[in-house]
Amino acid sequence: MGTDLWGTTAIVGVGETDYVRGSDRHVCDLILDAAMEAITDAGLKPADINGIIPPPGYMSAEEIAAHLGVPDVAYHVSVLMGGASPTASLQTAAMAIAGGLADNVLVCMGWNGYSALRPKPDARPTKRVMNLGPMGETVRNHYAPYGLMSAAQHYSLYLRRYVDTFGIPEDAAAAVAIACRNHAQLNSKALMRGTPLSRADYDAAPFIAEPLRKFDCCVETDCATAVVVTSLGRARDLVHPAVVYLGGAEGHPEPADEIANRANLLELGIHRAAPRAFARAGVSPHDIDVLEIYDCFTYVVLLQLEALGYAEPGGAPAFVADGNIELGGRFPLNTHGGLLSQGHCWGLNHVVEATRQLRGTADAQVTDAELALVTGYGDLGDGSVAILGRDR
Amino acid sequence: MSTYVPTPEWIVLDWHHACIAAELLCIQRCVGCGRWRHPPRRFCPACQSDQATFEPVTGGGSVLSFAVSHRSLDPGWQAHAPYATLLVELDEGPRLLAATTTPPGEIRIGQRLAVRTEALSEHFVLVWADPASHDEPASMAPRARGNA
Ligand SMILES: [Zn+2]
Repeated sequence: MGTDLWGTTAIVGVGETDYVRGSDRHVCDLILDAAMEAITDAGLKPADINGIIPPPGYMSAEEIAAHLGVPDVAYHVSVLMGGASPTASLQTAAMAIAGGLADNVLVCMGWNGYSALRPKPDARPTKRVMNLGPMGETVRNHYAPYGLMSAAQHYSLYLRRYVDTFGIPEDAAAAVAIACRNHAQLNSKALMRGTPLSRADYDAAPFIAEPLRKFDCCVETDCATAVVVTSLGRARDLVHPAVVYLGGAEGHPEPADEIANRANLLELGIHRAAPRAFARAGVSPHDIDVLEIYDCFTYVVLLQLEALGYAEPGGAPAFVADGNIELGGRFPLNTHGGLLSQGHCWGLNHVVEATRQLRGTADAQVTDAELALVTGYGDLGDGSVAILGRDR
Repeated sequence: MSTYVPTPEWIVLDWHHACIAAELLCIQRCVGCGRWRHPPRRFCPACQSDQATFEPVTGGGSVLSFAVSHRSLDPGWQAHAPYATLLVELDEGPRLLAATTTPPGEIRIGQRLAVRTEALSEHFVLVWADPASHDEPASMAPRARGNA
């Protein structure tokens, strides 16, 4: 399958709403706006789409098709890996296209991440919710009664172990928070554009769940994003330069449905996904020009950088220091501001940004970017990787 | 502590009922090969047997990791913030979360613990763990019987 799949599909359209705290728009409108924008951006019509991968929750593929006016859905599937879902969806889209099940696949994400808990007085109400997938049962039965409801609290169980095992200093992740905020100043859609973050601000912020302080945590937003994937052959006839899907993978910790009984608390899904993805794409970590790393929390970025091979275990704090991950550094990271400072769209905003970088049209453009790496991370440590490249 | 008390089902409910009946922390044990496992699973990952019992454990264990929460969505827990939640490795091998009366600053990875259970309903027990020598503040101490 390998030679028929990897490098034979491409991202040809991207769509993205604003990232806001409290939208006037219904969550379905956000999802459909981003979807239509991605189709239009590709120079396609809804009738050209015949594969749909919907968000994990909120809207079904059938509804999305009906509202967009997609007449013939030949393939759909839902991917339930929390924040790892959108990036993992790319491999499923590519499989459907390479296998001849679909021609043009729409991958959507959108949610009311801010308003679900804090609706505006005049907001249009919704009963639509995310699909928690495998996480719901574990949190309900085993974590919430112990006072651990939020993702920050769940992940702090292994982040504490990380800090303790390697003697990670308290300021280890500050560089990630500040790089993302600096990049957000350059991104026209970033929620935190116009709100810089100083090191003093970072240090003064209160803890949420140790070792995570306020600015180690991403910004909850209402937003939606979408991409269109097609064959590389068709992509070369469309409006934008093709962004080739060179390789991707997913991975799950063992067991995936709970944290406590893993042989190694620090071995996450991405530790299994990363080697698979690099092998499939035929590239190595040091070939990559742009890193779009799933940044729900800064420390989770550190763990992923180590899993990807950018640093030895415990070595990520040195990797992110000294401007290495800033625009102009060797490995610019989250050039749109990331979930930490652009907004939280489950990492499909990372795929959108990587696509723009490889088209050469990003707001914070990395000079001569040819290869981009995107990660997804979700649920209780599931991971996904996508390696994208400029068409040569 | 917790305002939220779940109503478990299936084999998780069987586990809670076993702990409540024994008034001790019980853990699932494979009839086929004798291995302990948690959370409850249908098949033994080592020998694939689906025959298992819930047996009392010694109640000894140690801190493998812990969370320190400064904010909680649960009002019952928020009242105690910052509070620690322990990831306990039992001497029998399985691991589980436990509430603790110990202040976060006094917890260390590797510390020895004694666990006990508190029935919060007819269908749910909460697991507590503290260093064996720790004196419990009266306001937070559950009325519960310990294993150790
Ligand atoms: Zn067995």
